[in-house]
Amino acid sequence: MMGFTATDALFAALSLAAVVAGWRVFATDSMVRASFLLLLSFLAVAGILLLLAAPYIGIATIFMMAVEMMVMAVFMVMFMMNPAGLNPMMMVHQHRLSIAAGVIAFLGLSAAVLLSDLPDDPVDPARPVVRDLGHELLGPSMLVFETAGITLLATMIAAVVLASRPGRYGPSDEGSRPPGLVPGGEPAGRKPEDDQGEGGGHHHHHHHH
Amino acid sequence: MTTALLSLAALLLGGAWMAAVMDRLAVAWISGRPAARAFVEPLARAAGLLLRQPVTTERPDATGRVLAPALYLALAAIGLSVVPVAEGVVLTDLSTGIVLWGACEALTVVVVFLHGWSANAPLPLIGAYRYVAIALPTLLLSMFVLIAAALPAESLSVTAIVDSQREVWNVVRQPPGLVLFLMLGLALTFRGPFDYADPEDLAGGTAAETSGPARAAWQAARLCMLVAVAGMASAVFLGGPLGPWLPGPLWLVLKMVAVLALLVAATHLLARLPPSRMLTALWVVLLPAAFLDLVLVGVELLL
Repeated sequence: MMGFTATDALFAALSLAAVVAGWRVFATDSMVRASFLLLLSFLAVAGILLLLAAPYIGIATIFMMAVEMMVMAVFMVMFMMNPAGLNPMMMVHQHRLSIAAGVIAFLGLSAAVLLSDLPDDPVDPARPVVRDLGHELLGPSMLVFETAGITLLATMIAAVVLASRPGRYGPSDEGSRPPGLVPGGEPAGRKPEDDQGEGGGHHHHHHHH
Repeated sequence: MTTALLSLAALLLGGAWMAAVMDRLAVAWISGRPAARAFVEPLARAAGLLLRQPVTTERPDATGRVLAPALYLALAAIGLSVVPVAEGVVLTDLSTGIVLWGACEALTVVVVFLHGWSANAPLPLIGAYRYVAIALPTLLLSMFVLIAAALPAESLSVTAIVDSQREVWNVVRQPPGLVLFLMLGLALTFRGPFDYADPEDLAGGTAAETSGPARAAWQAARLCMLVAVAGMASAVFLGGPLGPWLPGPLWLVLKMVAVLALLVAATHLLARLPPSRMLTALWVVLLPAAFLDLVLVGVELLL
């Protein structure tokens, strides 16, 4: 620990930002805020990757995370019961289990970092790291890379398919009805069509009371 | 470094003013009215916006509302900083310059959403969600055409891409690329046919409840982003500062002015599709077109 350089200071600041933003994700009360705080945490991690002389992975992390967190915010608002994402809501559940899992994961990862013999081999600045990465991804690692990509895509599509049919108030393709505004009262919102309405789908009668 | 920084500031400020003037000239030309005040009107309007009272909405996300215009402006500046202003003079000389530009594009979508969402008001919110739906697939367009532009250079560095155009500009080798990239430019600045964030049908969309200095900053940031798009299009498709007789920076400025003129003309002459039809057009027509552009460039380089 001799000589605290500017890079060390930057690393410390970015690590702190990543951890604090990551903690705020669970302390905020809005899904959109949670997504953007997670984005902030990832941006700090991307900064650390840039410090590690990984220009492509660092900047690609910024790019990918910006798009992913944006899509995540929109999807979370779409699938959950919080219109627009500004209404306060509890962002955590299963408190005890998650705290225990978090503590164990933190201890495990810290032990792995402290106990393993990490290489100290700075990358030569002249080395074409982006080119090397491209050859690796499209050469020996191509099969792994493509398999992971297709699997992730299939998972996303399957998750949307599974999540979108059972709607908030029953199967979404069978005309679900919201609960009443008072216990046991009339269903809230727009009334579904009269019984024969199923056939003549494009006539919309608006009932005014 | 200092030269690059100063020329970047001059390009951004001068370009933003010029784009605003062009907007007024275009309107004057279309409507047949005199354009005598087109040169001072943008400045007068900016002063008017700065003096107007800022309004606040009910329970907004205060941080997001303050940050959005500033971040948008910063993204325009960072995006333009990868463009070489003269041969060998570039502020951010990264080996992955166009990836940085791509990151600026992606963060722009986040920032525009944040602007509309943080107001906690109906019209800005509709603008924000609508913008995300349209801007994300448009972003994919630019990824394909930028990779196609990087292929002849065999590098992701903007300097190398400029260098690869010594013989022939990319616009000649891959003309669809420029057209698709300009569409992305209109989407990033939500103008004309791609105005889904701040359109008139939403009374100003994400900016509907913004006034005063924040509104002035937002409008200025939109113009600066337009300049950044013009700079990137000039560097990637028109050879940037390369050209005979004249000095490099002058060539870059001339090309940027030409691209700005194209973008301003598209803003005022082309109609906007309904959002749902535009979404279909993007996924069904334009994205395959961008992919085809990339495939053609790849095949051409292999032969």
